[in-house]
Amino acid sequence: MAEQSLSGLTEQQAKEFHEQFKITYTAYVGLAALVHLFIIAANPWF
Amino acid sequence: MSEIAKPKNPEDDWKVWLVLNPATWLMPIFFMLLIIALALHAVVFQMGFGWA
Repeated sequence: MAEQSLSGLTEQQAKEFHEQFKITYTAYVGLAALVHLFIIAANPWF
Repeated sequence: MSEIAKPKNPEDDWKVWLVLNPATWLMPIFFMLLIIALALHAVVFQMGFGWA
């Protein structure tokens, strides 16, 4: 049986999925940062 | 233990998916994120930083 990863994904699949994962994660962090700016504007906690 | 190559991040970050299959683990990861976010909001509201 050929060399298989623990997850069963090939290197190409893992890299392809990671590209999308990075995009979604960046959007998530961006949104969280935006909301924190709204909180600072509306009701600063410091 | 035998010398295992140390990962260089972030270049090797993608290798996590050679261990965790996203078809199995992506939703559990999202649910963990939700639980952490809910806990964090509970703490912050508890500390009195709720609505104005």
